[in-house]
Amino acid sequence: MKEEHKHIKAKKYGMVIDLDKCTGCGACMVACMAENNVPFKEDETDKLLSITWLRIYKLTNGKPFPETDICYLPRPCMHCEGQHGHAPCVSVCPATVTDYDMETGIVSQIYTRCFGCRYCMAACPYHARYFNWWDPVWPEGMEKYLNPNVSPRMRGVVEKCSFCFPRYQVAKDKAMAEGRREVEEHEYQTACTQACPAGAITFGDLNNPKHAVYKLKMSPNAFRLLERLGTNPKVYYISSREWVRRSGDNYLANEVKIKKL
Amino acid sequence: MKIDRRSFLSLGMGVAAGTALSPLPWKLIDDISIWTQMWPWTPVPEIGEVNYVNSTCTLCPGGCGITVRKIGDRAVKVEGKEGHPINSGGVCLLGLSGLQNLYGYDRRIKTPLKRIGNRGQGSFQKITWDEAISEVVNKLSEVRSTGQAHAVSCISGSDQGTVAQLLKRFLTAYGSPNFFTMPSMQDSYELALYLTQGIQASVAFDVENSDFVLSFGSGIVEGWGSPVRMFQASSRWREGKGKVVQIEPRLSITAAKSDKWIPIKPGTEAALALGLASVIIKESLYDKEFVENYAFGFENWKDDAGKTQIGFKQFVLEGYGPDKVAKITGIDKSTIISLARSFVRASKPLAIGGRNQGRSTSGRLNEFMAIYALNALVGNINKTGGVWSIPKPGYIKWPKVEMDDVAEKGIKEPRIDAAGSASYPYSQYLLNRVPGILNSGQENPIQVLFVAGANPIYALPNTKAVKEAFDKIPYIVGFSSYLDETAKYADIILPNHVYLERYEDIPTPVGFQKPFIGLAKPVIAPQFETKNLGDTIFLLAKGLGGTIEKAFPWDDYETCLKETLSEKWDSLEENGYWIDSSLKPADWKNAFKTASKKFEFIAAGKAKDIASLFGFSSSTLEGDEASYPLVLIPYDSMRLANGFIGDPPFVMKAVEDTVLKGKDVLIEINPETAKQLGMSEGGFAKLATPVGTAKVRVHLYDGIMPGIIALPRGLGHTAYDKFLGGKGVNFNELIGSVEDPVSGLDATWGIRAKLTKA
Amino acid sequence: MDSALIPVMDDALKPKGVQRCPIWQFALWICIFGAILLWGVYAMFLCWFKGLNQTNMNDAYGFALWIWADLAVIALGGGAFFTGFLRYIIGKDELKNIINYAVLIGFICYSSALLILAIDVGQPLRAWFIFWHANVHSMLTEVAFCLSCYFGVLTIEYIPLVLENRQIDKVPFFHNLAHNMHEIMAIFAATGAFLSFFHQGSLGGVAGVLFGRPFGYREGVLIWPWTFFLFTWSAAACGPCFTIMITKLTEVITGKKLVKQNVIDLLAKISGWMLASYIIAKILDTVYWATVTVPDMGYTLKHFYSNPVYGIWILFLEIVLGGILPAIILITKTGRNNNVTLWIAVVLAVIGVSVNRWVMVLQVMAVPILPFESWYLYLPSWQETATTILPVAYGILLVMLSYRYLPIFPQERELNPID
Repeated sequence: MKEEHKHIKAKKYGMVIDLDKCTGCGACMVACMAENNVPFKEDETDKLLSITWLRIYKLTNGKPFPETDICYLPRPCMHCEGQHGHAPCVSVCPATVTDYDMETGIVSQIYTRCFGCRYCMAACPYHARYFNWWDPVWPEGMEKYLNPNVSPRMRGVVEKCSFCFPRYQVAKDKAMAEGRREVEEHEYQTACTQACPAGAITFGDLNNPKHAVYKLKMSPNAFRLLERLGTNPKVYYISSREWVRRSGDNYLANEVKIKKL
Repeated sequence: MKIDRRSFLSLGMGVAAGTALSPLPWKLIDDISIWTQMWPWTPVPEIGEVNYVNSTCTLCPGGCGITVRKIGDRAVKVEGKEGHPINSGGVCLLGLSGLQNLYGYDRRIKTPLKRIGNRGQGSFQKITWDEAISEVVNKLSEVRSTGQAHAVSCISGSDQGTVAQLLKRFLTAYGSPNFFTMPSMQDSYELALYLTQGIQASVAFDVENSDFVLSFGSGIVEGWGSPVRMFQASSRWREGKGKVVQIEPRLSITAAKSDKWIPIKPGTEAALALGLASVIIKESLYDKEFVENYAFGFENWKDDAGKTQIGFKQFVLEGYGPDKVAKITGIDKSTIISLARSFVRASKPLAIGGRNQGRSTSGRLNEFMAIYALNALVGNINKTGGVWSIPKPGYIKWPKVEMDDVAEKGIKEPRIDAAGSASYPYSQYLLNRVPGILNSGQENPIQVLFVAGANPIYALPNTKAVKEAFDKIPYIVGFSSYLDETAKYADIILPNHVYLERYEDIPTPVGFQKPFIGLAKPVIAPQFETKNLGDTIFLLAKGLGGTIEKAFPWDDYETCLKETLSEKWDSLEENGYWIDSSLKPADWKNAFKTASKKFEFIAAGKAKDIASLFGFSSSTLEGDEASYPLVLIPYDSMRLANGFIGDPPFVMKAVEDTVLKGKDVLIEINPETAKQLGMSEGGFAKLATPVGTAKVRVHLYDGIMPGIIALPRGLGHTAYDKFLGGKGVNFNELIGSVEDPVSGLDATWGIRAKLTKA
Repeated sequence: MDSALIPVMDDALKPKGVQRCPIWQFALWICIFGAILLWGVYAMFLCWFKGLNQTNMNDAYGFALWIWADLAVIALGGGAFFTGFLRYIIGKDELKNIINYAVLIGFICYSSALLILAIDVGQPLRAWFIFWHANVHSMLTEVAFCLSCYFGVLTIEYIPLVLENRQIDKVPFFHNLAHNMHEIMAIFAATGAFLSFFHQGSLGGVAGVLFGRPFGYREGVLIWPWTFFLFTWSAAACGPCFTIMITKLTEVITGKKLVKQNVIDLLAKISGWMLASYIIAKILDTVYWATVTVPDMGYTLKHFYSNPVYGIWILFLEIVLGGILPAIILITKTGRNNNVTLWIAVVLAVIGVSVNRWVMVLQVMAVPILPFESWYLYLPSWQETATTILPVAYGILLVMLSYRYLPIFPQERELNPID
């Protein structure tokens, strides 16, 4: 098996989100909910009990009127690579529920294997993981729109953004059926990328120079969240505003320049 | 055999060991875990053939192309249509959650309903379509027979497209001029267009090609115009292809996205626009070719009586110099001057107006006129990157309605709102005036009201007054698909299909540059016993018979639509839209149909004087400062639908916790103002305006001007489902309607308010 | 059954030659703690049937009160393994007089830990996947394996005690079984000590490996973060303190001396030195973490204690009051021999280790990590509280029953002769 894989370079799917373009409209959140059968309940205003695989944070520069500035920051799962695939969550899961896929770089989650210990949630510094505190309930009629490619979760398990992995499988099956080995860039896009009305999200193989993300991630304005923790995330952000870039990580008072890792 | 203790124990241990070694416990443990993996109460989505159906989203006036993914006969996901001229693949969160409107059985009206409880209580009984049609027909016949045909009126979401036109046609054939649409900034824009250019047309913005956008509070990325199109334009500007300057008292998302945010005292936008004009004129920076050759009323001029009238130039130079405007608006003089200079120096500048989404109110005419004048000064009328006028789609060419005597007589009756009369000669619909007229009059000028594609009880300002007015109407017929506030107020509901179940043409979205028709198509079979509103109109006409029946010579709505769209139908069926990409805006020589054949700063013969069109006055705010020291303004958010459609659950889920917490809305207030009032983050407060009071919580926001408080539109529903209803406050309950002195349109932008600790 | 039979049976079950409280008094206390137990059981069933929405945990607090309770009871139950280690491996023979009680307390602590875990997981019915789909990289996997095995060991260590009940002992089979088990107990004790060194460490590793959570994260050797060793060490130091504390508490309640002072003194002395060395290591660890580890990640020490609840006082409480002070008392002879200071020392040590486990679970969750987050605070729901009190009630009941009917304290008869 290993020999066969050798001549296909491992992919590293990732995302570049342009925060200059992002308007925080929430389309990515809803596209994700609709694609991934995310449940909802009567009150979703407690954001610590609200399953949003992709959550939008509102950042402020902390200055008073009229110097105030705000920026929205969409946060999917970062699909951290850590060192050699040791994402913070992957190595802690006691039951091998969550795994770093070396072929795609996607951090997976097997809901039917998860028994809900929530160690992965404790491990994730991005709060990208969500627990099903309740049984998911779709009001009468709404179960009709459920997507058969994504299994609805049950109470008591952890779920998170999968970079719409089922879409990758569909694209791969299609490519295979057509006798192609490779999935084209446009064939595999996440639901949030596809929906974003501002075109702020770009998705693709970070290892592939032909993919748009390859170049975008090298922008001098690109940064990742909490790089200094060594999580090695695969979601990049771009902002032309320094205060926004500085909000991506923690710095000591004497660290004037942002350290590039 | 006597079982002694020893053998009993051995036996027990043997049994235990045997059981443990047998497959039984292991099988049980395994089975139980398998059961937890597929609990019968967790749904398993059915698999099936995948196919996509192209359609058009009708949840807002944006006109986005959508494609709906279907699995078998289920619709599973709405996505943006790639390559669509309006949204090219993008889609907003409301559009994305469209299936929750379709399958949200709790919010839908499933059969015709007849009211049994009190008005607004929401108690209905199911009736058949035959019963429903005959009941409405009987009522209409009765009203008609008493010579009150003109007392039947209709509130529609729009007057564009076949369904709205069929409604209008129905009223005409029946004998009533009283057709209304919900207010929006288009009313003022079209009026400004008419006054300056003498044409009845739609206004369009060539935002894709503009390189400097001066926005007077327009929520460019908050749902203004055709939302997704504007998002995409915004992204182009962020790529360096244009600059945006946002003028408003609150750091909205648009303001945060813009290159420069200039906070302004709310309500003084018109003065700023005139101030900018004065700088441009004083520094002689205006487009001389346009102003000198194609504009009228810039310089002073002589009227027919030979009297010298003041032109725009003198008017702004004298009245709106930067010093004075700085005082009015609270913006530095230097900022005003440099802004004016940057505006004219841009190669394709564009000034836009219409606060927030521009959909809840028509706005002050003088503001739109002043913004229009700025565009004229830089000569961007009908130019690339500028503001265009495009003809309204003329595809509806139905034969003239043949009217019987009753209809002839009724149609000549004056409109209830006096639109088009001597008092308001240029306005078409003044729905905002109707509640006041109903509430103050003794008689009931409206005997029967149709409401279609609109939710006036929720969306019109001063909810209490609107309800009071509705109480005076003896018979209300609702056509909504959803049990919204107005449907709950109806006496009878003849439910329309949801947009994903029906055909409908969606003509040119707000602000789009090309003649365009989108087609909404039935993506799936109707879920309930609903009917396309077009067909319902035909059934009513048939029931009434005579010339009314004859006015609708089609078998059904689908046939009518196909015939109406004739040669465009194939393109519509195939692509989901039709577009006339070849259309270019008329050049300056042919663009203006005014008396002077020029762009008129002062509509000669129409307006009293230039001050009546442009003059700024700060007296448009309801309430006195002593009792109400703060100013309450609304804001719009993509995450809160505030018009005809209420937020579906997914969109509610996206609402931030700084906007809604539990069932309480948070009001934005500057920390400084909050400190003066002794309020802290999350604290409860009582909000009072001259119109109403509400319980709110406080959210400290540095991005709002001290003294101003802001509340989102789109909450405070009393209908729909548990996911939306009963949460927050409806802004319209707190605000009154203020009439624009010239147009008569609703010009409300805020109200004085008081906030006290609760 | 004739109710008159109860006192007779009670008498028959009690060990010979010892004084026990009247049956009515015993029954009353059983009822009181039984009621508390039932309250906890009710909450437990609520959690099982309605799900973990019964708790106040949320997506920021995936680990909360229960995980703390787990870590705390396991640390406090550490008296069993460490006393066993001292008695059987090191050969501190005097400790045989307290080992039974240490084992019983350990058994209670570990069974409680397992019960809490069974409530805490979202899908208890398939919690065995932890063994079936084990991920060897996870500290929790190691914890699960060692914990289960060590619980087995504690059960085996506890069984001979049960078998020594007067009536059971009469059965020759059980008599022999108990005897034989005693013979091989050293092997189990050794196994138990070995397992404990690992899972106590792994529990420390649980927070220590979280490189996404700077407050918990620690550098270390190979795959083991420093917390791995610190947890084992602190459990070995404070577990015996808890054993002493409970023993002394039992003595107060029963109004009898149950263990000779030299035994207590020996255990306290060893604990003291363990605690002293531990707290030095802990201080070094904290200093290194605060000056090297977290500044590298862009944080200052102040950041982690910048909340009214989680202020620097908690660090003071843990290290100075719960570490240095009891260590000083316990390593000094006068401190150990004075009943009051001994009490203070063991209580403080127990508090110290509990606070350590608390911060390593809850403060880890509370600290904002992303610069645009704020502190997350949490208060447990009554269901969480009740299910956490449940094991306490259960422990008291088991101690009551064991004390009444089993010869837990070998020196009891000698210290409290009945004429």
